Amino acid sequence: MKIFQVALGILAAIGGFVDIGDLVFNVSAGATFGYELLWVVVIGVVGIIVYSEMCGRVAAVSGKAVFDAVRERLGFRTGLIALISAQVVNLMTLTAEVGGVAICLQLLSGLPYRWLILIAGIALALVVWITSFDWIERIFGYGGLCLLVFAVAAVKLHPGWGAVAHGFVPHVDTGSPLLYAYFAVGLLGAAMTPYEVYFYSSGAVEEQWGPKDLGLNKVNALIGYGLGGFLSFALMIVGGALFLGKGIEPEFLGSITLGAEVPLGQVGLLLALVGIVFAVGGAAIDTLFSGAYNLAQFLGWEWGRYRSPSGAPRFTLTWIVLLLLGLGAVMTGVDPVQLTEYAVIFSAVALPLTYIPILLVANDHAYMREYTNGRLANALGVLYLVVIVIISLTAVPLMILTNVGQN
Amino acid sequence: MRACAVGLLILALTGCNGGTVDRHALKRDAEKVASLATEGGLLADDVAKGSSTKYFARVHAEELSRAASDLSDALATRPTSPGIETDVRRLSRVAGKVSHHLQQLHLHPTSRAVARSLEQPLSDDADAADELSK
Repeated sequence: MKIFQVALGILAAIGGFVDIGDLVFNVSAGATFGYELLWVVVIGVVGIIVYSEMCGRVAAVSGKAVFDAVRERLGFRTGLIALISAQVVNLMTLTAEVGGVAICLQLLSGLPYRWLILIAGIALALVVWITSFDWIERIFGYGGLCLLVFAVAAVKLHPGWGAVAHGFVPHVDTGSPLLYAYFAVGLLGAAMTPYEVYFYSSGAVEEQWGPKDLGLNKVNALIGYGLGGFLSFALMIVGGALFLGKGIEPEFLGSITLGAEVPLGQVGLLLALVGIVFAVGGAAIDTLFSGAYNLAQFLGWEWGRYRSPSGAPRFTLTWIVLLLLGLGAVMTGVDPVQLTEYAVIFSAVALPLTYIPILLVANDHAYMREYTNGRLANALGVLYLVVIVIISLTAVPLMILTNVGQN
Repeated sequence: MRACAVGLLILALTGCNGGTVDRHALKRDAEKVASLATEGGLLADDVAKGSSTKYFARVHAEELSRAASDLSDALATRPTSPGIETDVRRLSRVAGKVSHHLQQLHLHPTSRAVARSLEQPLSDDADAADELSK
């Protein structure tokens, strides 16, 4: 029974791994550089595994979620900067995800886009209000598994497997180094997007994980995110195999789903659209909760999805306000795909303020007792911190120099 | 830090280039038009084979058509660097044709015959835009 539950959790993690940022950056990177950036996805996936395991362990042992640690370790002023940057990026991501859901619903139904934004917003609010945490994870995680159609599409497009294998070997493109670096930073930012760890650690506290759950934490982080990264490979291979040779720049979500339609026909198209609706819808809920978790944890409010709305009124009000702000923003007509690119790049800037406190607390013996970081976790944690600082410093200059990846 | 920010701002502004289409921008826009035409061709091919759905073809063709139309409008009026105005205006007309062809697909998303009849014109548009990108 336990193995069955773990398997279900892993399936949900695979389906829930990909969000709109992964879709946009992986397919665009494939369309621009073929399979050359696959190695960057590996680095990003290992990074999110390392830090998710760490923050899950911190949550299980100390009962502290990320923004508890941020407030405690960075102090109020620096913590406030971390909170503001996290909330801005969360709201941008939420807006892009809601817009992405509405676009896919439009591609499925042909109904007017603005109506579908409202429908998507109401549906998300109802799901969050009515459905339990477990069921949210299952519905969106299993629905997101439809994205495995991109793995089938990748095989059907007959990529050069030698070139794919070569893509896993780290190397630098000398033809367009700035553009290459921009996509590398974007892929790392999309894979290690901060809201995933906010949600993961808060969820662990909500589900009252203790030291007995550390095995489950490891399995979830390692296999769930690891296999989730498999979807990112598939998306990049589709981008490279279908779009690169034809000179197509996939600028729309519809372009991405064309990657499943061309090799697999209507079934491929429908599975891709349904998969994106669930994966991106699930990510919208994650970002919605993350925003409410962060604010409540930082200000010391009562928080939690398992509490009744009256038990955590300010937490409940926060996610409602965030949803309304996200809906208002997407109603202005902002392009969700373009917004996603900005959100991913700005989230890369905010990464150190999220991950440094986790590393500090995970090394604090007073909190973590015998569960402090071992040598491997610390070596990887510090290594990734260096990577995170580099991408945080280079993200915006690269975005400007490449005109948001256009040049 | 401040000098760095000012430098980035200058770079961003010079990147905008005051709205004038120079050779680099022409190449970039020609690649975009070719991309839209080629993607439209793929979509038309799927519609012709019965591999797409009515709503997807209708909505996605309109997205592509609108993007081509926006490019066409911008290229028709923006000032250009000396010596490339003819090419810029020609690219505007190509983008207009791409938009028109995709509009046909938007209006007839289930017609295999219409889709089939659009494949060659879209391919020609892509070739014409490609020529202008060189």
